[in-house]
This record gives sequence, structure tokens and C-alpha cells, in this order.
Amino acid sequence: MASLGRPVVSVRTLRSGVLGAPMIGYLAYVGRRLAQFVLVVFIGINLAYVITHASPIDPVEQSISAVTSYGNTAPEAIEQMRTSLRELYGLGGSPVAQYLVFWKRILGVDFGPSMSAFPTPVSTLIGRALPWTAGLLVVSTIVAWGLGSLLGGLAGYYRNSRGLKLMGVIAMGLHPIPYYILALVLLIVFGFIWPVLPISGGSAMNLPQTLTFDFVISVLQHAILPALSLILIGVGSWFLGMRALVSNVVTEDYVVYAELAGVRPWRVLSSYVMRNALPPQLTGLAISLGGIFNGAVITEKVFGYPGVGSLLVDAVYAGDYGLVLGVTTVSILGVSIGVLVIDLLYPLLDPRIKVS
Amino acid sequence: MLAEATQAEPPEEAQPVLWVRDLKAHFRTDRFGIKRVVKAVDGISFAVRRGEIYGLAGESSSGKTTLLKAIVGAVRPPLEVVGGQVDFAFLAGYGGLHRAPPAEVARIRWRHLSYIMQGSMNVLNPVRRLRSAFVDFAYPHIGGSRRQFEREVVAHLARLKLDASVLAAYPHELSGGMRQRATIALATICRPDVILADEPTTALDVVVQKEVLGMISSIRREIGSSVLLVTHDLGVHAHVSDRLGIMYAGRLIEEAAKVEIFRNPLHPYTRHLITSLPRIGDDVSREGLVGAPPNLADPPPGCRFHPRCPLAMEICKCEVPAMLETAPGHRVACFAVNRSEEA
Amino acid sequence: MAAILRDLLRYNAEFRIGAALISVVLLLSVLASFSPYPPQDVYVVPPDVPPSLTYWFGTTSRGQDVFWQLTFAIRNTLLFGCTVALISRLLALVVGLVSGYKGGWIDRVLMSVNDTFIVIPLLPILVLFYFVMRDRMSWLLLALIMACLGWAYDARLIRAVAMSLKAREFTQSSLFSGMSTREILVQEHLPYVMPIVFSTTMNNMVWSIGLEVTLAVLGFTDINTPTIGGMIYWANQHTAMVAGVWWWIAFPTIAVIMTFIGLFLLAVSMNDYIDPRSRLRSFGEVS
Repeated sequence: MASLGRPVVSVRTLRSGVLGAPMIGYLAYVGRRLAQFVLVVFIGINLAYVITHASPIDPVEQSISAVTSYGNTAPEAIEQMRTSLRELYGLGGSPVAQYLVFWKRILGVDFGPSMSAFPTPVSTLIGRALPWTAGLLVVSTIVAWGLGSLLGGLAGYYRNSRGLKLMGVIAMGLHPIPYYILALVLLIVFGFIWPVLPISGGSAMNLPQTLTFDFVISVLQHAILPALSLILIGVGSWFLGMRALVSNVVTEDYVVYAELAGVRPWRVLSSYVMRNALPPQLTGLAISLGGIFNGAVITEKVFGYPGVGSLLVDAVYAGDYGLVLGVTTVSILGVSIGVLVIDLLYPLLDPRIKVS
Repeated sequence: MLAEATQAEPPEEAQPVLWVRDLKAHFRTDRFGIKRVVKAVDGISFAVRRGEIYGLAGESSSGKTTLLKAIVGAVRPPLEVVGGQVDFAFLAGYGGLHRAPPAEVARIRWRHLSYIMQGSMNVLNPVRRLRSAFVDFAYPHIGGSRRQFEREVVAHLARLKLDASVLAAYPHELSGGMRQRATIALATICRPDVILADEPTTALDVVVQKEVLGMISSIRREIGSSVLLVTHDLGVHAHVSDRLGIMYAGRLIEEAAKVEIFRNPLHPYTRHLITSLPRIGDDVSREGLVGAPPNLADPPPGCRFHPRCPLAMEICKCEVPAMLETAPGHRVACFAVNRSEEA
Repeated sequence: MAAILRDLLRYNAEFRIGAALISVVLLLSVLASFSPYPPQDVYVVPPDVPPSLTYWFGTTSRGQDVFWQLTFAIRNTLLFGCTVALISRLLALVVGLVSGYKGGWIDRVLMSVNDTFIVIPLLPILVLFYFVMRDRMSWLLLALIMACLGWAYDARLIRAVAMSLKAREFTQSSLFSGMSTREILVQEHLPYVMPIVFSTTMNNMVWSIGLEVTLAVLGFTDINTPTIGGMIYWANQHTAMVAGVWWWIAFPTIAVIMTFIGLFLLAVSMNDYIDPRSRLRSFGEVS
């Protein structure tokens, strides 16, 4: 049995250095993702800058006039607003100085006082609304993604199951429905036809916002309908995406081979099929995060949820320039951070990333 | 050592362990109104003896892989077995794995019959370490404690000159040759009676090819498995096969002991294959075959080789020649050859 | 092309349903030319009349006939979707083909920018855009900016195809025969990426129309040009749901869902037809 003339090659020789090749590969990957994160934030903020500066109208004077038309604001207050807005909008000084002041404000999370809720700073308003939106979006996104991927994976693997086929048809019909319509239908059904759930607000009005049992229950109750509308829309597209991925993965050699080798079906499904469809599905999640606000804004508006979506819409109606810019910036940051987190989790699912 | 392995003659009277009888496996498709039947395997009979390496040769798309799929029971639409049977010494009464109940199939596969798939670059799960493949594939058959199992796997790897560290590696961390050798280790860990190997050396460089072939013959010697080796590469067959079957367009056209086939090829197609092998010191220019291999969706009637055959007669165009024994152990399907033998 | 369409119609149920839905929607939009009332006029018919033989889809609280209003809305919404799709296709084609063909640092830079546009949240940006434009916001302007923001995902798909084309032999032979990069991309590669361009057109339209409806419902578009979203906006302004004027919201909603499902099914069935993997699977491979 000594017929093989060549010396034995160990895998260890493929790994080298103090850290080892995989570790270096991982760090290089993290570096690339961080650079991409910085680029997204940079381009996003610049887009906001260009859009506001390409406008033919002066948003500062327009905002001021919108506020003053409501009634008697103290002249000093108006001056303070004007200064803050001028700085934010940067109409004074050279173009370069304007651009730098803009960045200074943004990096300092300082958007000045809100005009519609004077003199509360914009950052305070956003800070108050952010946990509501973040909680709602994170939970509903994870539930929709997890549930959709699981069911879609099953549907792709058991292609002859009646129930899963039916689910596919429902998903196909549900997936293209605009958020607004679905939210409205839920509102009508659970608000008017069968009023069992609260249809407006983030918690019951009469409860103090402290961490009591009643408050938590109230928050959860109020979150059901907004979350349900986001989940119902989301599940459909994740279902379809995962089903398509899985029906491609099942034809891969390693799946066919495992089946031929008599590996148990549930093991083939979980460790071979689902496991290999998951990385691209996770990439899909990262790609979709940019669109997450579309749903959030509408849902929050329909259900009167006290998140940044409602804040944004009300700010536009009230002509609150600082607040609109603030929410836009925060949403760009929020989505970029979400994408970065997913990117950093990705190598856990796909070991190949470390070398490529 | 290698030379010794190839010289060893298999016991001539050994019992068959795998019989294929008049097997027909077709692809049937119906898409956008176009119905097609591709007769990839169309009436093949042969037997593999215990402990031998039976080689199957033939150009690409002659139905070799489909034949293996039908034997291993990997029959799912659009592939269908439309006739004939496959019998194993360790599985009687069903006429093929594709007809056996799932419990039987689960018992047979890997324990008695294992398979080395073509293009082994992609047969290992890319997101899991090799250890898990061994556990998934072999642990249900071998059993015992996990630690015992691990010891057995490491011992098997050592026997095949592989370091235990491959178990901790992901497939992409291994070179192509290493991956192929790991796959072969995976296919042989349960010491199966029959190993079906589909192009195990294709796409490997020559040095690694030699290692892999050495591995296959030493497995045969150590474990006593029979190997059904499929490759288009006659050089590989010359190296390790004991007997050789030649396929053309979904049919077996000649079968004999390896040396006999190389010394005395009878079928015009086999003769063409053998004479077109390059030899050192030989500078005679070679004649190519006219025409191309037939489209299996619409094969020519009669002998499928007749449009390209230099010896074609009228009968070849309408009747299918049977496999007839011209000498002990030498079968050939050709009217021209069998007629002249009779005369 | 005609043969492909005929095959799809005959053998693909998804394509049949999609084509039927889109035909209905197109028919409605064509009818806009025969409307007895100009789209902008209000109080041309008695307000709040439920669907009847005279007013098929009822009338709005603003005294408009829902049926004729809907024909304008669908026409404008479809036009909007097509405009965005057309312009963004051009951008995606240029970026995708150049990036895939050129490779190297050009590819890396373009794809970094590309990935950025994929993840940037567009709705807040569009809201900001509306905020500074206000009354100057027209649907053409909105279409332009959405096209400028919505090409990135499809550019990546086209790049993948272009990369595989680059490795094919005919690219090399055209290179040696002295064709310029522009000639190779336009004459040799463009025909191969056209199928994927068609199928992404449908998806892009679903995306842009969906976003337009969202913006319009919030009142962040030119609300005087009737679109599907605009109709729902006006219905909300008149609290149609509470007032029981359900037909004002129901019919535009049904129309937009039909459009979405139709476009989606067309994209799915075309993808199925284009995807070489699914074709191979159904024909079977022999080796």
C-alpha cells in the first residue's frame, strides 16, 4: 500500500503566517466592507447636499416664512433659527466653506432647533422617535426574513407539496401589493370591521412611558398591526426569493451527491440545501435594507406610529427643513450600519469569503 | 509498486457482483411543445466481477454517465429507465436500485455501493468542513461512538496517504487533487462491494492522476471492492482496468480483457480508438473518422456506427448487431466482424 | 421574437395571466384619449355617486367620474414607469457593460459606486428632493431623479452577463479584427444582454410605480397630474373611507395591484425562459 510516491501534503502547509491566511483574509474583508460603509455614507450625505443646493428656492426663507405664518414667534427665536439654518444650509462664505460647515454640522449630529417644535433640537426629536422605528423595523424585518426564508426553502425542496404550492401563489399575489394598500386593509379590518387591536399610536395615551408591565404590553399591542403589515409584505418576497434559490441549489452536485449517498433527507435539507441558499439570501437582505424606509414611512403614517417616518412626513408638512435633513441623514446612517452588520455576519455563513 | 498492481490478473472465475441486462435509460422532455426522447442508454448488458476493475470507455455523450446514474438509482425526470434490469449480488429481486424500496436503498448505498461523481470539484458541500461530510455519509453505516468513528476515518485517510488535517478543512481550502483524493476516501470509507467511478481523473494534472489511479487500484487490493471505472481516457484504462467495455452512442459495442482489446480490437470503432492513440516513435499519419457522433435524440437506424463505418454493409443500415462472443471473454457487436468469423 | 412570445403564451400559464392583466390595464390607459372630461376639471358630474350604469366606477367627492379619472391615472402611472425604466436602463447598460468588459480598477470604482446606490435609502432622499422643489416638482422631474437613483441593481446583473461574454471567443476575434470597445459593446454584446434588460424593465417598473404611489399617497408629488397614487391621495384628503365613498379608493387600488401582479408575472416567466439553468434542467444533459 505504499504505491503513492509523493510526500504527503498537509493542509497546514496551505495556511501560513502568525495569524494564518484565513484570519488575514477575514481582516481584509472587514476592511473592504468598512471602506464601502464610509463610501455609502459619504455619497449619501453628498446627495443630500447636492439636492438641497441645486434647488432654485431658498429653503431657509421658505421655512422661516412657514413658521412665522403660524403666528407669533419671538423675533430672537426667528433670528436664532435663521442663523442655525443658514449654517446648515451654508449660504454664507465660499462654496468650500459652506461644504465644510455642512459636514461639521452633520458629523456633530447638530441640526439646530426644530422649527415645528421650537426650541427642541432636531437631534432630540429624532432621538425620541428612533427607538420606535428601529424596534419596529428590526423585529419585523427579522421575522419576515426568517419566516419567508424557512417557508420558501421548504417550498423549493418539497416542490410537490400542495400546501406549500398554495403558499407560493399567495406569496406571489401578496408580494407586489403596495405597502399603503395592505396597511389600509389591515386598518379597516382590525379598526372598523373587527376592532380588537389598537390602530393608532405607539402605546396607550394614558400610560407614562416608563418600563412598567402595562406599558410594555401596550407597546406590544400597538406594534402588532404595523409589524403585521410590514411582515406580510416582506414574507412574500423572501418566500419567493428563497424558493428560487433553493430550486437552483437542489440541482448542485453536492446536493445530488449527498442524496445519492443516502444522507438523511432532513440533513440534506438543512445542512446542504438551506445552508447553501442562506448566504445569497442574506445578501438579498442587505440589498433590500435601502427600501426599508418606504414601508416604514407609510406604515407609521397609517398607524400613527411615533417613529422617524411620521416625523419625516410631519416635518415636510410643517416645512421644517432641519428636521427633514436630520431624518434623511439618520436614515442613511441607519441603513448603512444595518448593511455593515449584515456584511460582517456574512462570513459566518460562507467560509469562502475569507479567501476571495 | 504501481506496475505490480496493474499487472495483477483478476481471478478469472470470480463471481459477478453486478449485472446489467438490456438496460435502457432515456431522457424524455416536453417543453414549449417540443417533445424529445434522448436514448442515452439503449440496451446495454454486461457484468462486473468481484474484485475487478471494469473499464467503460467511449467519447463524451456516449451515455456513460447516464449508465452510471441508472445503476446507482439516480433516476429522476427527465431521465427514465424504460427497460432492462440491474442486479447486485447484495440486492436481489428488484431489478435495480431505482425500483427498490427506500429503506433497502438506504441500506445499500455507501455500505455496498458507492459512487464517485464526475466533476468532483463540486461534490463537496462548500460551506461545511470535510469532517461533517464523513459524518453525514458514513456514520449511519459505521455507528459506534463518535470518537471511535473519528479514529476509523483517520485510519482510513492514513491508508490513502491523506493527512487527518483535511477533516478540518473546507473544500475550497484544498487543491483539486487533494479534493479528489478526499472524495475517493469519502466514497470508500465504508468498504463498499462496488465503487462506481465517473471520470475520476479528468481535469487533474498528470502527477495527481497517477496518484488517484494508484489509490483506486490499492483500494481494490486492500478492500477487495469491484470498480466500474468510466472515463474517455484510454490511457487511464490501460493503466488500471482489468476488462474493458467500449460504448458508442448509447450502446456497448465491444468487450474484452484489457490486453485483448489493445492487442486485438475487432469493432471498427474500437480499432479506430486504439490506432489513434499516439505512440512514441510512430510517425504514420492517422486517418480521422468521417462525420460526427450521432444525435441521440435521432440516432441512425441499425448499427449506430454505420454512417461513419468503413466496413458498413446494407444490413448495418437496418438491423442492430447483437453482442456475440468471438473468443472466450471477447464480445463484439458488428456484422462485418461476426460474418468473417463465421466464414 | 414573435415565436418566443407565441411559445410563452401557449405553454406558460404565468405569462398568460400576466399578459392578460397588462392587456386590461393597457386598454384602460388607451381609453383615456376618449374621456369626455378633461382630467384636471372638477365638479363635472354629481359628487359621491356609487357605481351605477351611468357611472361605472362611481364618482368622487370632487365631482369626477372615477372610471375616466382612472384611465388618465393609469396612463400617467404607466408612462411614468416606462420613462424611469427607459432612462435607468440606459444608465444600467452603460455602467454594466463598461464595468464588465473593462474590468480592473474601472470595474472596482464603478461597482463601489454601484453598491452604494443599491443600499442608499431612496425614499428620504426623494422626500428631501420634494421638500426643496415643492411646487416645481413635475412628474417628469421625479421620473428623471428616480431613474438616476434606480439603475444600480440592474447594472450589476448586466455586468455579470458582460463578464461572461468577455471570456467568450467571439469577443477576442472581434478585438483582433480591429473593432473599438464601443463597437464591440454595442454590436457584439448588446444583443446578448437584451433579454435581461427586458426582464429587469418589468421589475424596475414595479419598483418605480410603487415608490411613486408611496410618495403620491403622502402628497409628495405633483398632485394635480392624476396618477394612481394621486387618486388615493385625493380620496384620503376627502376621508373617502370614513365617508363610505369606498369606490374612490377601491378601483385605483385594484388597478395598481393588477399592474403589479401583471408586470411581476411577466418578469418571472421571462426570467424562466431566459435562465439557461432552468432550460438545461428541463432538457436534461447527456454525457
